[in-house]
Amino acid sequence: MIRVERLTRRYGSIRAVDRISFQIGRGEIVGLLGPNGAGKTTTMRMLTTYLPPTSGRASLAGLDVLDKPLEVRRRVGYLPENVPLYPEMRVSEYLSFRAKLKDIPRAIRRRAIDEVIKRCQLGEVEGRLLGHLSKGFRQRVGLAESMVHDPDILILDEPTAGLDPIQVREVRSLIRELGQRHTILLSTHIMQEVEAVCSRVIIIARGKIAEDCSLESLRSAGSIVLEARGPTDPIRNALASAPGVLRVNFAGRDGDFAAFEILPRDGADLREPLGQRLVQNGWPLRRLELSRTTLEDRFIQAVNRDSLPADDREAV
Amino acid sequence: MRHVVILLRRELGSYFLGPIAFLILLAFQFIACLNFLQLVESLSRPQQSLSSQFDPMNMYISWSVPFWMAVLVAVPALTMRLISEERRSGTIEALLTVPVTEAEVVVSKWLAGIVMYLMLLVPFFLYLPFLYYQGRFRFDVGPVISLLIGLTSIGMMFVSIGLFFSALTKNQIIAAIWTFVMIFLLVVLTWVVYVLAAERQSDWSDSLRFIAIVPQLQVFGSGKLDLRYVTLHLSVTAFTLYLTVKILQTRRAA
Repeated sequence: MIRVERLTRRYGSIRAVDRISFQIGRGEIVGLLGPNGAGKTTTMRMLTTYLPPTSGRASLAGLDVLDKPLEVRRRVGYLPENVPLYPEMRVSEYLSFRAKLKDIPRAIRRRAIDEVIKRCQLGEVEGRLLGHLSKGFRQRVGLAESMVHDPDILILDEPTAGLDPIQVREVRSLIRELGQRHTILLSTHIMQEVEAVCSRVIIIARGKIAEDCSLESLRSAGSIVLEARGPTDPIRNALASAPGVLRVNFAGRDGDFAAFEILPRDGADLREPLGQRLVQNGWPLRRLELSRTTLEDRFIQAVNRDSLPADDREAV
Repeated sequence: MRHVVILLRRELGSYFLGPIAFLILLAFQFIACLNFLQLVESLSRPQQSLSSQFDPMNMYISWSVPFWMAVLVAVPALTMRLISEERRSGTIEALLTVPVTEAEVVVSKWLAGIVMYLMLLVPFFLYLPFLYYQGRFRFDVGPVISLLIGLTSIGMMFVSIGLFFSALTKNQIIAAIWTFVMIFLLVVLTWVVYVLAAERQSDWSDSLRFIAIVPQLQVFGSGKLDLRYVTLHLSVTAFTLYLTVKILQTRRAA
């Protein structure tokens, strides 16, 4: 649905977004994760045709953002950062104004607005002025507005910023629900958010993509930490000869106990066969657990990584 | 251009949801009232001069100092927030990511400005039927109509200038000051320079007369519907609106 090729945006001499490429398929919920100023908002602004890219291409639903901006806008629902609203309008008035601008036919407009009011639980504030709404309601009005024309693609810039924990949970579950019918690209700098709603994460730092992987692969990659009572070397040999084990590292001794770190092949979970093997040999277990690299580790790694591939570097 | 009506309704709504439109309307009503009293009074006296400059009907609007002062203040006040406010609050981003073109946005905002400007003139023209029917002063209707056409085309130009400066900045005050300066130049300074040049019989006094707003309005007020002036105003309007669209398209990160 979204296809980005070497997209670049400069502000003067600064490259806010530097030759990023990625593709997002239908029905994916992708989190764009990055520290402040990494280029998340700029990327989203280019995808929603608000900013023209300096170079590179981007197409949404097969339509190029430069060639067919109006067509792209028709297919995209966008929630800008900080949710800009007209303070003097009422909620229902605003939604109907936006629905008209988005060319929703009169026959289904009323129904579409009622539908998003229900989904975003805006019923109680329908008649209130936007300027008088709390942050949480503003965010929900923005979300309702972005999906009122039932777009294929939703682009949400920090959809949960400034919400209280309960509202955050509500918005996240709403996004998950929306993900069943729409393709969603959301930006955030909150790790838990990505873990809670996304199926894939793109980590972006200093305008470049530092990491692009599915949440599943992130979860499965990890090593096994094991402690058992018995002699070091026989245990090590028994572990190393087990199928699926890539490498066994000795991590130290604590009295009768020996500790090991086992790296499995292909990220498989080997806890059960390994435990069985040791117990059968008469070495009782004290500890057996999967230690995952968390998204946070990956994020910090990715952001701090100074060495970029040589072909990505530009002669200054 | 099918979104223009939707956008125009929102613009007009936002004028009247704040105090500014009412305040300006009130001020104009007050000035119209004073001018009308003066008009009635001067009509009750015997004619003092044959010059069209001192014709009571001309004094009512085109040569009225309070009227021009009010226009100089009102136009910037009406146009300053049209685009700059959208830039400041970020709503421009929401507006230009729905299937609406920049031209539609600019035209609808310009039209909203024109509608407001014409509403300001309503008090002045409201009094005239009373003068005609109740006061039984049978003035010529033709010059009043040509004056209205002239005022409208001048207003179109003024509002487009205000819109242009509103698009240039996020700051309403800056937009208002620039608009005021430009209109002040067109109305007052050019006219002063024209008078000076005409006294010395300079060659370029004729071209100045063509630009200065006050003598133009006097021509309209005397019943001459000079299409050259209308063309001038409309070309300036079209060019300024075009520039405004271009500014919006470049999305300067101002």
